[in-house]
Amino acid sequence: MMRQRKTMALWGITLLTSLWAVAANANIFWIFDPKGVMAETNLHYLIIDVLIMGGIVGITTLLTIWFMWKYHKGKNRGAYDPHWSHSNVLEVVVWGIPIIAVGFLSYFAYKGTFEVNPYNPTVITKHMDPKGDPVEVDVIATDWQWLFVYPQYHMAVANELVLPVNTPAFFRLTSSDVTTTFFVPQLVGMIDVMPGMRTKNALLSHNIGTYQGYASDYCGAGTSWMRFETRIVSKEDFKNWVARVKSSPNTMTYASFDRFAKPYINVHQRVVYYSHVQDGLFDHLMMEVMNGKTWPVPPAMTENMVAYLQKQAAEHRD
Amino acid sequence: MLVPLAGGWNPLLGRLALDQIPYNNPILAPLFVVVALGALALIALITYYHKWGYLWKEWLTTVDHKKLGVMYIIIGLVMLFRGFVDGLMIRTQQVWANGPDSSGVFGAVHGYLTPFHFGQVYSAHGLIMILLAATPLLVGFMNIIVPIQVGARDMAYPYLNALGLWITAAGAALIMASLFIGDFSHNGWFGYAPLFEIQYSPGVGVDYWIWTLELLALGTSLGGINIIATIVKMRAPGMSWFKLPIFTWASLSANIIALTSFPALQLALALVASDRYLGSHFFTAGLGGNLMLYTNLFWIWGHPEVYFVILPAFGMMSEIFPVFSEKPLFGYITMVAASFAIAGVSWLVWLHHFFTMGAGPEVNSFFSIATMLVGIPTGVKVFNWAFTMYRGRLTFSAAMLWAIGALFLLLVGGLTGMMLAIPAINYMVHNSVFVVAHFHSMLLVIVYAVFGSVIFWFPKVFGFKLDEYWAKVMFWLFSAGTVGVFVPMYMLGFMGETRRLDYVFNTAWHPYLVAEEIGIFLYCLSVVAFFVLLYVSIRDRVKNQVGQDAWGTSRSLEWLTHSPVPFYNFAVIPHINERDEVAWRRQHGLVQKQPEKYLDIHMPNNTGMALYIGALTFVLAFALTWRIWWLCLGSLVAIIALMIVRSFQGDAGYIIPAAEVERMEKEALAREARIQTGAHPLPAGGRPVPGEAIAYERQDKL
Repeated sequence: MMRQRKTMALWGITLLTSLWAVAANANIFWIFDPKGVMAETNLHYLIIDVLIMGGIVGITTLLTIWFMWKYHKGKNRGAYDPHWSHSNVLEVVVWGIPIIAVGFLSYFAYKGTFEVNPYNPTVITKHMDPKGDPVEVDVIATDWQWLFVYPQYHMAVANELVLPVNTPAFFRLTSSDVTTTFFVPQLVGMIDVMPGMRTKNALLSHNIGTYQGYASDYCGAGTSWMRFETRIVSKEDFKNWVARVKSSPNTMTYASFDRFAKPYINVHQRVVYYSHVQDGLFDHLMMEVMNGKTWPVPPAMTENMVAYLQKQAAEHRD
Repeated sequence: MLVPLAGGWNPLLGRLALDQIPYNNPILAPLFVVVALGALALIALITYYHKWGYLWKEWLTTVDHKKLGVMYIIIGLVMLFRGFVDGLMIRTQQVWANGPDSSGVFGAVHGYLTPFHFGQVYSAHGLIMILLAATPLLVGFMNIIVPIQVGARDMAYPYLNALGLWITAAGAALIMASLFIGDFSHNGWFGYAPLFEIQYSPGVGVDYWIWTLELLALGTSLGGINIIATIVKMRAPGMSWFKLPIFTWASLSANIIALTSFPALQLALALVASDRYLGSHFFTAGLGGNLMLYTNLFWIWGHPEVYFVILPAFGMMSEIFPVFSEKPLFGYITMVAASFAIAGVSWLVWLHHFFTMGAGPEVNSFFSIATMLVGIPTGVKVFNWAFTMYRGRLTFSAAMLWAIGALFLLLVGGLTGMMLAIPAINYMVHNSVFVVAHFHSMLLVIVYAVFGSVIFWFPKVFGFKLDEYWAKVMFWLFSAGTVGVFVPMYMLGFMGETRRLDYVFNTAWHPYLVAEEIGIFLYCLSVVAFFVLLYVSIRDRVKNQVGQDAWGTSRSLEWLTHSPVPFYNFAVIPHINERDEVAWRRQHGLVQKQPEKYLDIHMPNNTGMALYIGALTFVLAFALTWRIWWLCLGSLVAIIALMIVRSFQGDAGYIIPAAEVERMEKEALAREARIQTGAHPLPAGGRPVPGEAIAYERQDKL
């Protein structure tokens, strides 16, 4: 039994290590591989925290294992003291260590919260190039798509976010019907997107590339497909891309947004460009939602959604 | 005034219609057949062995805290199994529905569950595991152990205790009914505002969720009142506060939390119901509603609830470690202080469940630091358990293994919890499976403590030990499963996988999903081992019989009475001299000292009223779910009528004559004398008793 257990444990450890090794090669630990200033700061604090807490937890683990080994009944390795249950020195130590650790961590928690405060992330705003033009993006989550409105360019893109490199981007976010969360793991942490409310976030990346973004909070049947690729491109490419969006025949008005916001599961990752967007769409939506506008989800997309999924899959088959 | 509904409604059956029965669902229909056959077989067996009378007299109408506790634990274990099957379904769906090329069956685009069905599975998994597995298991143990540990004959309110059980059972029945009649909620166990509003969740699922939670909240609150009253008012003579066994302390702190926090949940859900039934706008996005208000209200209950379930688990560990270390708990006073510190801070941390809502950095920092403060008393507890083992004489019995497993899991959960407490880290992993892995580490502390306690206290309740070998096999399989599922899940969290995905888009995650599936398979094996454990233990029950002190090194008061505990607990209530009374009596050779004479015992009568009211609360909740108004009114009137009837009945209880007590005691002692020749002969003699020590109150005083 003992031997079997050891063999099993060995197999388990080998398997888990190999999983780790596979991952390290493929670079799929997105949280450990940040490509934006916000995500880098988050990782920085993660490392500090794990070093402090890992030290304490590691020592406690070793201590416990040592006690288990030493005071094993019948092995006579340690002296048995049947009445020992109190020690003032140890009391001070067992309260002191966690208090000191929490004290340290509190300082970092406080500092970090301001640095990556989504409304005013000092890691971005403090070092901003006064001449660099930030990009503004109004993010609207619907059931179950993302609409990115670029108010500076009067254009919008559904389900794809493109931003120039080395340029801060500032987001305003709201939702048309339910709450979800905006998340691009390698670039910026999560922020809730709520109907009738406005949140903010910001992002700055020095790395050209394509990063996955998605809705990270459950918001109904279409959550799993509510994704958007986030492309960080050179300033030149960004200009070209804007021109390409501008040449699209589609436009977005308050009325066409009303149709766009109807429940739709984006199973096929459709991306749509809108060359022109009626001004003030974001504020208009906020006002509408606050005044009670909703886009109800029909029972056919909840209880009996088999038919809906089949219909949608058929419609989009090329 | 009532909101218009998307589907049909008729006055007789409300929203209930034939198409709400999933008779064509390829998963649920066969399951229903299996469940129905199982139920029929059970009924046939009970009838065949003529056990209906026994069932009715001894279990269904009982007010005995031990039997009620056992029924709580049975509900807890059955629901733990149901929740586990949900977990198995979630894991299987995710490993299957991975990548755009994955196949789909049963109408799903990928995997075998459509998104809405998947939503129901994980919502049921969460709700069941927290409120119908962890909570009843712990309430069950508190029910059984606390009155014996404080030397009481029963709970302060035996009838209320039965009522709490049957309302909890009604909640369990309601969530099981949602399997076969209609749908369950898809919006997570905690509920997303405004996703649960009628516009986005038009079916009955959310209504099932509301009324299940309301029933469970009611049942648990009633239990909380009872346990607090029992601990405060019914302690044995001589048991001052700092002689209270540590599990009782933990129960007290936990139930203070329960009693003060559950009303917040009940209120929040009543407002959700008002939104859905009456069309009010408490938590809607528009027309003055505030959806974040719901999230705040829910977690104002939700976080204290987490500590409500973890504190008794800590108490269990604090009972197990000393017994198998053969020395007192290190830092008893500190342990008590730590429990109450955790209970106190539990009120100040709820916002850490939604750091990402966009609160200002000042608010987030406050809740971040408050959350980390919890780490201090928790850290102290871990150190104290370690130092309990220090200078001890450790026996690695199955119960001890589970307790040690819980300790290591707590270290992992603590490490990851401190990461989540810092907003700058939290933003990256908040809704990811990292969080899922973290709170499973913590909730598994409870599961480990509970299985440890099942093994530890089983002989006290049933008079024989569980089989050590199979208990250990189960432990190792379960632990392998824990590593197999949650190590890859932590890794996936760092890869950015978010929770509640019924379709997993990233194929690079596949090996990890497979590893999780292997882990859950190991869990399946541990479930099998558990059934083998039960079978083997019951088969060898005569061989494994034990006397009053099952482990030979026990410490607290429950080990002073017989095993199985007689229904009156103690023939004569013992006088408490020391914190670890049994250890003290053993040391002074007083364990076998019997009272000089027996007196009449006053006990409460059985009553079927609690069962009737419990059943009616189920009817009421079911009628509310389906909006069958005449039935709502009828069951509500019936409940109130029964309450009035009961209040006029009163219960004078009955008297067990002293002679009868003496006869039963002699029998129990004779039985123990037969067993005691075996494993743990009780020591006689020992050090002389200090001057004024009393084993039992002087009889003429009673």
